[in-house]
Amino acid sequence: MQRIRIAERAHWRARAVEAGFRFHTIDGQPYWDESAYYAFTLRQIEVDIEDPSAELHQMALDLVGDVIVSERLMDQLAIPSHYRDWIAESWRQRQPHLYGRLDLAYDGTGPAKLYELNYDTPTSLFEASFFQWQWLEDQRNAGRLPQHADQFNGMHEALVERFGELAARLPPPLYFSAVGSSDEDRGTVDYLRDCAAQAGLQGEAIAIEDIGLSEDGRFTALDDTVIGTLFKLYPLEDLMAEEFGRALPGSGIQLLEPAWKAVLSNKGILPLLWQRNVGHPNLLEAHFDDGSALASGWVRKPLFSREGANIEMHLADGSTQRSDGPYEGPAIIQRAHPLTRFEGGYPLIGSWVIGDHACGIGIREDDSAITRDSARFVPHAIVDEAPTRIYV
Amino acid sequence: MKRSRTTALLLMSAAPLLFTACQKEEQVQVQEGLYTSVQACTEATGDPSACRNAFAEAQQKAADAAPKYASKEACEQDYKPEQCVQQHTSAGTSFIGPMMMGFFMSQMLSNRGGLAPQAPASAPAYQDKNAGWARPAPGGTGGMNTASGIGAGKAGLAPVSSEPNRAVTASRSGFGSTSARRSGGSFGG
Repeated sequence: MQRIRIAERAHWRARAVEAGFRFHTIDGQPYWDESAYYAFTLRQIEVDIEDPSAELHQMALDLVGDVIVSERLMDQLAIPSHYRDWIAESWRQRQPHLYGRLDLAYDGTGPAKLYELNYDTPTSLFEASFFQWQWLEDQRNAGRLPQHADQFNGMHEALVERFGELAARLPPPLYFSAVGSSDEDRGTVDYLRDCAAQAGLQGEAIAIEDIGLSEDGRFTALDDTVIGTLFKLYPLEDLMAEEFGRALPGSGIQLLEPAWKAVLSNKGILPLLWQRNVGHPNLLEAHFDDGSALASGWVRKPLFSREGANIEMHLADGSTQRSDGPYEGPAIIQRAHPLTRFEGGYPLIGSWVIGDHACGIGIREDDSAITRDSARFVPHAIVDEAPTRIYV
Repeated sequence: MKRSRTTALLLMSAAPLLFTACQKEEQVQVQEGLYTSVQACTEATGDPSACRNAFAEAQQKAADAAPKYASKEACEQDYKPEQCVQQHTSAGTSFIGPMMMGFFMSQMLSNRGGLAPQAPASAPAYQDKNAGWARPAPGGTGGMNTASGIGAGKAGLAPVSSEPNRAVTASRSGFGSTSARRSGGSFGG
């Protein structure tokens, strides 16, 4: 794994406009950064990232069934009691899921370590699946990357295929929602709608704030159509805490990601994974936080924090780092395993699982060892030695 | 190869691939309905001959487009027992599958609201045991009449909600308040 500088495509901004990629620059700061790329060997991708991602995904799914039948575990994950039966029922019905992103610390050596699972509202999807792919094609065609250069990114095809599988399993009509004022989230949701349409599954878009609640307790679109399935790029724990939340269990609405993702989009899953798989090479030791002072060599993360907010690090060298943010409440502690610094910053690997298939990565690079929403997306390529000719 | 062979955008891009300028010539509206009988169709559209034709055409397609199961038990996982019957595709392959329980008819309306002269399009409709309606998926296995489709079940169908299914909304904006308290570009993570 190397970080290699490369000339930017002269027309990449025009490419972004063509593709409707509006959030390549956020608040005047670059988000899409193609002044460099990360180069992997095929072995690094397959052995160190792809296989462990598939295994971690399976380990996480294996936990859901245990958690939903245990009041004690639901307590530990701080899942409100009003929603527990609803969440459990969504799992018993095996309501289908679309995707998830595993955040892995990896620098090309040693086993990748799981930082956390983003299994409810993973973002950076469009740039990983589509725009990164286009970058590779353009750079190969321009001769800046060798013809045999590849990328760990079967995401677009996997998304279309997955929506095809979901078509018969989601009660219609299907609506895609995100916060109306977030360009980034609306862009991601537009892309997912697009993938669904390519699979023959039509969905409408609605801002999360525009969703209505009828007198008989059903969720409606602006024209009073009852929403059958709601794809929401919005944290489930927030939906549950908001005014309409209490109506969710009785409304008949099916969510995508499904309600049972409340179990996995929760950092409490990290100590539970550790308890069941002590010493697993891709896991960092983790425990539920008892509130005592953070020992050196440990990191504290609230159960529900996102985008690197409210993280407290106490490194082995005695240094401490803390990120601010809006999250509070119960937390976990995890063994510190700081990201390696490359020229340009600290890369974190987002490893995507579509359906149950580990099929691509996106790398976000930040100036600090805590990856925040200020991170830049840097593309990657698989650049092994040129394939040698085989004589028969 | 570890990457997608191709990617495409249909809705997002500024220059959509599928829509061409000539389609914009005239504003065309399509009236589509799901009907459980020719009579219900006639009452809704006032066009008995179109309804009869649509019904007959859907019935002709029904076996080829139906979900195909190898056994009655497998079929009954998805459909009511009385609907799961032995059928034959147009090529003569035998299978177990649900009967057609209704049909879709779609008619072009001109921009003045009258019926355009084109013949209506129709498709068979199937109703699963949860009362959900579905039609052959576009580009799916609809029309497949070989034995290779047996066992695929409902995979070739697309669910629809063509029944009037509306409710009076009492209030809005009960979701999204957390986002208002947070700054930043994204509410995912």
